[in-house]
Amino acid sequence: MSNDHDHDHAHGHRPPAPMVEEISDFEALEIAVRELSIEKGLFTAEDHRRFTEFAEHIGPTPAARMVAKAWLDPEYKKLCLTDAIKASFAVGVDWLNPTGFGTPSDYTDLRVLEDTPTRHHVVVCTLCSCYPRPILGFQPEWYRTPNYRRRLVRWPRQVLAEFGLSLPAEVEVRVEDSNQKCRFIVMPVRPAGTDGWTEDQLTEIVTRDCLIGVALPKPGKTSNIKLPVHHAVNPAHPH
Amino acid sequence: MSSTTREEVLRHLTAVAELQPPVQKTGKAPYPSDMTHELFRAYTRSPHDVGGEYDIPCDWSDEEPEAWGYRAYVTTEVLAWRGVWCAEERRRMQNVDLGTTQYLGLPYYGRWLLSAARILVDKEHVTLTELINKIDEVKRRHEPR
Amino acid sequence: MSHDRTHHAHIATGKGDPQCFKGTAGPAKFKAGDKVRIKNMPDIFYTRTMMYTRGAVGEVAVATHESPVPEDEAWGHVDKSEWFYIVRFRQQDLWPEYPVAFPNDTLQTEFSERWLEAV
Repeated sequence: MSNDHDHDHAHGHRPPAPMVEEISDFEALEIAVRELSIEKGLFTAEDHRRFTEFAEHIGPTPAARMVAKAWLDPEYKKLCLTDAIKASFAVGVDWLNPTGFGTPSDYTDLRVLEDTPTRHHVVVCTLCSCYPRPILGFQPEWYRTPNYRRRLVRWPRQVLAEFGLSLPAEVEVRVEDSNQKCRFIVMPVRPAGTDGWTEDQLTEIVTRDCLIGVALPKPGKTSNIKLPVHHAVNPAHPH
Repeated sequence: MSSTTREEVLRHLTAVAELQPPVQKTGKAPYPSDMTHELFRAYTRSPHDVGGEYDIPCDWSDEEPEAWGYRAYVTTEVLAWRGVWCAEERRRMQNVDLGTTQYLGLPYYGRWLLSAARILVDKEHVTLTELINKIDEVKRRHEPR
Repeated sequence: MSHDRTHHAHIATGKGDPQCFKGTAGPAKFKAGDKVRIKNMPDIFYTRTMMYTRGAVGEVAVATHESPVPEDEAWGHVDKSEWFYIVRFRQQDLWPEYPVAFPNDTLQTEFSERWLEAV
């Protein structure tokens, strides 16, 4: 499971390696909780494996493709804005997966926030880190930080400027604080310079940062903002 | 081995002294007459409700999650899948019940994991004795030889 | 402490959540365009109504869905539901120091019905 494909390892920070092969308090607790849950019949190892497989396959591409399709097809765009759960099927996402009633934390009420030339949306969950995982993958770590959650609702333009996004004063910056069961993605305005582009080409420039609202799509810009990465001691996928 | 434990104990006593309450009243609880409505709300606030608080511009960064973090995330979701709890119970326990100090001081997935452990005990699927013994057993399995 | 761990799967499979609570809250009290004030109710132990919204006046953007409220759901109680609404505020109305240079900025967030009063 990776947040995006742009980890800049050359500038990453590595914590010191432990002196002996031992597990941390968290690792021990994780094993204990999982084994006890299975021993007590609360769930099976197969349940854990199946949900892990689901979590390993989510990412931002379906949401990017949803936007690209909407840019090319006004009828599909209308569907995205009126019934985004239904629109998700067209990009291969069934929000009822993998349990048959959806993921417990992400629910099944996706809303698409339509940008216009005079309105720009940006999403935050000030209370935790609610995020439309089934169609967008896992949140970047900065989205979860108290810093982003404290400041975006009150100083949105300052925070956006730190991500390199500056908007004219008369544009309405609309912050969506995602605090209940609805989940949100931003549908940016299709940028200039993309006439005649295919769905694949358009999908490439709708990055995860664009779908949160901290970036605008641009021809040639196919990756998220480059940030230093703190590396794990024992990552899920060792490099 | 016992001197290592004693060293850990002494370091612990120093560390917990650094976790101070928001209002420092040395050695004892405040008198009720010192407790204003503002202080009452501050102490009883939901720790996760941080929107609009002051903070400084920071250097944004990203983090590669530990494998245990992803496994803990899966465990919390599977516990909800199989009806042990729902996500909102998890959020309450994970983001509010543990209080401001732990909320700001523990790793993100560490709080997910603690709430999963807590729900097992709170809903009496597991006794605390069983949980403690299991943690101990797991640690012994991984002790360096 | 016994509770039916199959309950949610029974009511929500094939439908989703919050869809499984559709029709359980009765008529919605508010509609898009209504002016509302956020009540400053006691919030001991748990709230998902952020402090920064209390006492603010905004406009209902849309009624989203019916669902148990977080104050109840956080203890596993799902027998009662309320309507939820996205309410939109002018940033100028939320923050005293919000720059007048950005007069059109807004913020919207979601509330259960109990937190709203008509203005």
